[in-house]
Amino acid sequence: MPSDPLQEAWQSQPDPTPDADRLVREVRQHQQQFAAMILLRDVREVFICLVLLPVWVGMGVGIGLPWTWYLVIPGIVWIAAFMTTDRVRQGRRRAGPGEPLVRGVESSLADVEHQIWLLRNVLWWYQLPLAVPMLAFFAHVFWQLSGGNLWEMTVATSLGVVIVGGFNGWIYWINQKAVRSTLEPRRQELAAMLQGLSDESPAPSNT
Amino acid sequence: MADDAETLFRNWLAEHRGTVLRVARAYTATPADCQDLTQEILLQVWRSLPLFQGQARSTTWCYRVALNTALGWRRKERRRQTRQRPLPDAENLAAPEEIAPQSDLVDRLYAAIHRLTGADTALVLLHLDGLSYRQMADVLGITEGHVGVKLTRARRALGELMKEKADAE
Repeated sequence: MPSDPLQEAWQSQPDPTPDADRLVREVRQHQQQFAAMILLRDVREVFICLVLLPVWVGMGVGIGLPWTWYLVIPGIVWIAAFMTTDRVRQGRRRAGPGEPLVRGVESSLADVEHQIWLLRNVLWWYQLPLAVPMLAFFAHVFWQLSGGNLWEMTVATSLGVVIVGGFNGWIYWINQKAVRSTLEPRRQELAAMLQGLSDESPAPSNT
Repeated sequence: MADDAETLFRNWLAEHRGTVLRVARAYTATPADCQDLTQEILLQVWRSLPLFQGQARSTTWCYRVALNTALGWRRKERRRQTRQRPLPDAENLAAPEEIAPQSDLVDRLYAAIHRLTGADTALVLLHLDGLSYRQMADVLGITEGHVGVKLTRARRALGELMKEKADAE
């Protein structure tokens, strides 16, 4: 029997009465769609890489582009491998929904901190592996077009640096904005929640 | 999923449907959000049932799944992120008539609970549902002594919020 009036009132709430057959049917259908969506999400990066690579090689061969065109390929493979490996590793570390609450919050916090790390370092693992080979390709092409004129090559490549740098700066800014506006508040919220659950200091007295 | 799991889900639903609704209502401010969270908890239970192998009691496991889902749930984001379509019967579980005002005291309780922190909400919910300190410790993953300390604070915060509300009226 409830020992206080709040518990008594709380436990007097009537239980809902769902149609169990329909609910099971709906949940089962939804789960099938969900599994398909997760599979699609997980293979998306690899799929894009698999499509992009032959297109990249095909363009290089078809147009007769110089060898520096192919320097981007290791960058594409690196990004796809990094993202896939990272997702698998994070998925293994994640707590299941049936874990104790403290473990669940710790896991969510670790997840958010990892996302913040990824976005703060997006320059190193995502942007530079593509931008540097692209700039090398531009410099090579401009060198060939200028007939070996160092001044003309430098001016044209500088223009390429401004364009590629500007685009990458924009991408970087978007990622840092996501950290500031979404991930950092969420991290603070989870850290406070964890502290609320795991702070062992005694309750302050009423006196 | 095997029929065994379906039977498990039905049994689970029969026993714990009230818990799902109370947790969803405690962690949301509007009926639409409550329906969304109810659906999310039910789907999470369905996905997790194969992992439930009796290592925790059914009640403990139910609260763990419901509270973990509620604490991780972000208003308006989940359905968009996972492109979920609504489940009509899951929504019926948290239909407005199910969460209609029941008693003045219960409504005041929910209003006060909405203003607690996520961790305090969990503690207060477990207490109001009549779980023992041992069960609460199992759900939360902390010691029984620690539950006592935390619950004292959470109940005090709840009492103050309810008093504020009563004074305002």
